Amino acid sequence: MSQNKRVILSRRSVIKRAVLLGTAVAIGLIPMKVLRAEEIVKGNVAPNAKKQIGFSYDEGKCIKCEQCVRICQETYKWEDETPWRKLLKNEKGDALSMSCNHCADPACAKVCPVVAYTKRASDGIVIHDSTRCVGCGYCLYACPYHAPHLSETLGCVSKCHFCYALQDAGSGPLCVGICPTQALTYGDMSELSKKGDLNYKGLPDPKITNPSMIAIPKQK
Amino acid sequence: MGHWGWLIAIYLFLGGLGAGAYLSSFAAEKGFLGKTTHLNRVGYYVSAPIVAFGALLLITDLGQGLRQPWLIIKMFLNPTSVMTWGIYILTAFIFVAFIKAYFVWKKRPAPEVISYIGAILALGTAAYTGMLLAVVEGVPFWNSYLMPVIFVVSALSTGLSLTSLLAHFFEKRQVHEAKVTQVHLWLVSAEIIAVAAFFALVYSGSQEVAKLSATRLLTGSLALPFWILFVLVGLVGPLTFYVQQSLSHKNTTPSLMKEQSAYHDVDTIQQAQPEAGGRGKSQNILLLCDVAVMVGGLTLRCVIVFAAFPVWSGYLI
Repeated sequence: MSQNKRVILSRRSVIKRAVLLGTAVAIGLIPMKVLRAEEIVKGNVAPNAKKQIGFSYDEGKCIKCEQCVRICQETYKWEDETPWRKLLKNEKGDALSMSCNHCADPACAKVCPVVAYTKRASDGIVIHDSTRCVGCGYCLYACPYHAPHLSETLGCVSKCHFCYALQDAGSGPLCVGICPTQALTYGDMSELSKKGDLNYKGLPDPKITNPSMIAIPKQK
Repeated sequence: MGHWGWLIAIYLFLGGLGAGAYLSSFAAEKGFLGKTTHLNRVGYYVSAPIVAFGALLLITDLGQGLRQPWLIIKMFLNPTSVMTWGIYILTAFIFVAFIKAYFVWKKRPAPEVISYIGAILALGTAAYTGMLLAVVEGVPFWNSYLMPVIFVVSALSTGLSLTSLLAHFFEKRQVHEAKVTQVHLWLVSAEIIAVAAFFALVYSGSQEVAKLSATRLLTGSLALPFWILFVLVGLVGPLTFYVQQSLSHKNTTPSLMKEQSAYHDVDTIQQAQPEAGGRGKSQNILLLCDVAVMVGGLTLRCVIVFAAFPVWSGYLI
């Protein structure tokens, strides 16, 4: 008898909890809310609200030596399939050295379910923590610049982190340091954005994520 | 670019299918599928296991799903991620649908609030499967408000199909209710309109990459599964039959109507009426349509996932 009673009571309490949980979820359920939440996030991360550093690439100065790519791979040991930096070239002779653009509105950070991405308030660097990453691949679709890559062997994502440890120690990123012609430089976006943007040779609309990088095409 | 493939497409399909099955039984319970119905139980039974199985597929598809599964716990953390939202909704739905199924199985009336919460969560689950893709700005083809609409309508349609199919094989009491066919006719019509509107929106829009994806479906490498499995098998075929069925129902005399909506035992159905042979045949086609609708639903998820072109190709032009 008493056992029966206990069973009924526990079931009842389980249901009660279920109802509470269900209601809590149902309140915020309307999927449109998710979209709206996203817009609010976008609004919060105004481009010039905080300090944001970024890359600058001057095509006219670039000799396509790929030192920037080589030093990055040698130091951070990424696989060829998951490049942190690439030197993009086309048959017309155009080039662009690009890594993660540490966007002001990082789409990767927005979609990552496990918060593996953090955007540092001090300089706007977007850092991906591979130890948190579950490897869902959502950020690969979200990023318009193909910056994050999912390693088949490791099962997690990695990308450029702007050599943040070196920056904290007072020096600059390796790719910039090794560039023999200073085609690749870095600086504060409030200065860089006066010189140009990333509306460059087929690249996606910078409005999507507000990338912290400018590319200056060579004079023809 | 991304690595989402078959597993994700099947997961999106199963999410919608389970949610649709719940909503079908919910609709049957509330009397939206005719006065008498045998659809008011099986949908509840299968909904939670189907969605749970889909979630399991997703976990095996995660890079760390089988290596460090404890990391998955943290997928609840980012409230701005649609995927996190999906995990809230799916978890809650699986939980509530199991409770509801338990009540139905014990033949006890479940508290109304549980049924309704389950229904809301089911709608959320179906919408989430579309929302997951719709919010990705990096893939212009997905980035459409119509995506969740298409996914919800397809979820309802496939869910109703699965419920009818299972009810036919596992329920002793068989009911032939014209209302079900009529509802399914509306669902398939709505899906056709939603898909047509989606393509119209893509082609009238300014996103060239989205047009590229759409063309891949309409005339490109995915045209065969799109036109044959999705449009012909999944939409036009069932639509034709449902239209024909509802027309013939309208033409039948009121007395026959009454008789058709009464219930029969399985063994009496074949011998009781002289036109039982014809009915049996149309019943078989109806079941075939249910299978076809589900094939179409799965194809839809696959072609949409596979048609994803990123907003930028990764090359300089």
